[in-house]
Amino acid sequence: MPQLNFNRTKKIIDKYKLPFARSFLIKSSEEAVKRSKELGFPVAMKISSPDIIHKSDAGCVAAEIKDEDHAKKAYEDIIKNAKKKKAKIEGVIVQKNISGVEAIIGMKSDPQFGPVILFGMGGIFVEIFEDISLRIAPIDKKIAEEMIDEIRSSDILKGARGREPVNIKSLKDILVKISNLSMENKKLESIDLNPVIVDKKTAKIVDARMMEYEK
Amino acid sequence: MKNNLEKLFKPKSVAVIGASRDPDSVGHGILKNLVRGCVFQAEFCRPFKGRIYAVNPKASSILNTRSFPSIKDIEEDLDLAVIAVPAKIVSSVMKDCAEKKVKAIILISAGFAELGEKGKKLQDEITSIAEKANISLVGPNCLGIIRPSANLNASFAPSMPPEGNIAFVSQSGAIADSIIDWAIENRYGFSNLISYGNKAMLDETDFLEWLDKDEKTKTVALYIEGMKDGRKFMEAAKKVSMKKPIVALKSGMTEKGAKAASSHTGSLAGSYNVYKAAFKQSGVFLASTIEELFDISKALANQPPAKKNSIAIITNGGGCGVLCADYCSKLGVNLPDLKDSTIKKLDKTKKMHPAYSKSNPLDIIGDALPETYEAAVNTLLQEDYISGLIVIQTLQTMTNPEKNAMILIEARKKFPDKPIICTYMGGKFSRKSIFMLEAHKIPDYNDVSKAAKAMKALIERNEQLKK
Repeated sequence: MPQLNFNRTKKIIDKYKLPFARSFLIKSSEEAVKRSKELGFPVAMKISSPDIIHKSDAGCVAAEIKDEDHAKKAYEDIIKNAKKKKAKIEGVIVQKNISGVEAIIGMKSDPQFGPVILFGMGGIFVEIFEDISLRIAPIDKKIAEEMIDEIRSSDILKGARGREPVNIKSLKDILVKISNLSMENKKLESIDLNPVIVDKKTAKIVDARMMEYEK
Repeated sequence: MKNNLEKLFKPKSVAVIGASRDPDSVGHGILKNLVRGCVFQAEFCRPFKGRIYAVNPKASSILNTRSFPSIKDIEEDLDLAVIAVPAKIVSSVMKDCAEKKVKAIILISAGFAELGEKGKKLQDEITSIAEKANISLVGPNCLGIIRPSANLNASFAPSMPPEGNIAFVSQSGAIADSIIDWAIENRYGFSNLISYGNKAMLDETDFLEWLDKDEKTKTVALYIEGMKDGRKFMEAAKKVSMKKPIVALKSGMTEKGAKAASSHTGSLAGSYNVYKAAFKQSGVFLASTIEELFDISKALANQPPAKKNSIAIITNGGGCGVLCADYCSKLGVNLPDLKDSTIKKLDKTKKMHPAYSKSNPLDIIGDALPETYEAAVNTLLQEDYISGLIVIQTLQTMTNPEKNAMILIEARKKFPDKPIICTYMGGKFSRKSIFMLEAHKIPDYNDVSKAAKAMKALIERNEQLKK
């Protein structure tokens, strides 16, 4: 089950006009500084490697990077930690640091039903509570809305306890696009958009992992 | 032949291949089930009315049925063959059936794909014999088929259940088998009982499509372990569920799927959750226990959908009413407050106890007589804002279960668009009245939580049909 590299993943994401957080794949500390400035601090960095799945556990993620020195050091630390794991390294991804509510959107190709679309709240909601909803693709906006309504923590998205409601339409939009994408690319075995960070204005995919079937 | 199952369910003639004189053998049991309707004698057993033949090279007559050395020796046409011979001779027996131009085969014998690769090869071989000869094939490794309305018990199940309007399609022979005794005891009726085993040819989707057109079937209950083509099932279920409700029990609930660490979605979208999603999308009700499967099916087959989510409870026992309200609220069954105008109407009947609850649940107090029930039931059903009733009866010295049942049966006729669900809490002394209710298509449940679930299904059914 090989993982698609950053460039191939990005290509699919762009083709389907999925809102990916503005990112660059960087390969040196000089580039780290240059791209960070271009994005504007604070930024976040993480390793791009098919071998490292749990990036933060491996010390291969840095958030809230506030200045040039910090950017340089973050890049070097990430590379150093990745080398400790003897991982294949494609580079480091630098992104604008964005905050909001974390959601997860995914796809799994099921042997009996084909592409299945998943929606859940990110972080502990999905890890501990397995608070998710599933539908067999293809799905339309109405079904996407049902999926969002169905999870137990959906009130968080709608603005529980004085929080600002997030842009649910943008989440629905991603769900439908992932459904279209998976119906048209049957070689894909799974997709994890984790996290998708959403606020009142928009939703951005911060990390995407796509797997394809072995040839 | 997948499209013509008529001969399978409504045969005019049946041969049992592997019929035996040994009363402990499967072949003997099947023949007896055809000749007498059952082995364990029950009031619902009827002998098969069509022609019956035994096939056994060593006997000339079994159970007063003429036996032939081979199916080819039978001169008349044959619709159905039930095969119970060792796996290794099945393919030669099936070739004989093909030559004889048999229309349908129920293959009881085990020893095929369930045993692994070698068995799978044998299964493929016999499937291709059936395909080439345009034979509808059920099984192998199955219990068989029972269709009470046709007096057809082509199985080695112990007995014949009552005739009814629910079709049970079960991947497990044991589950189909075990509910028969229970169904006889509780007078739970079936239009068809279908055990399809390894589904070498005919599978749940094929049966679903046939049951869609079966005039005896109002609701389909499914027990499923796994499917080969989930999308094909969804397509059929979407179509059928618009006409007839489908309820499914799926085993494998705790299976977490392969915890593939490389994909979050993969580990979360475990097989059971995927089935749940597929059922929801194709209008299939999900049951979580065997009992729930038949409880929900009974409600859907016999009651109209609740036009609005607005239900009233009538009870002669406070505690039972409160508990029922708890279950309703947990399930999202809405119990509206009774309007002042309704209370006035109830007062006006002069049948209410001075201490009756004047709210929903409507507690008409322990000493409620049939006329109290009658006034309460008819007053509430006349209200536009009440779309269905749950009626609870607890047995007390002055309670008259049969008269109360008659009142509900009358109300059912007067208000055909509003579902009535009963909970006669009791046993021995309520039995007769429960049979009365159910004979008139008013489902009764021995617990208020089950009644609440049944009503929930009738509310959901209405939403399904609106989509």
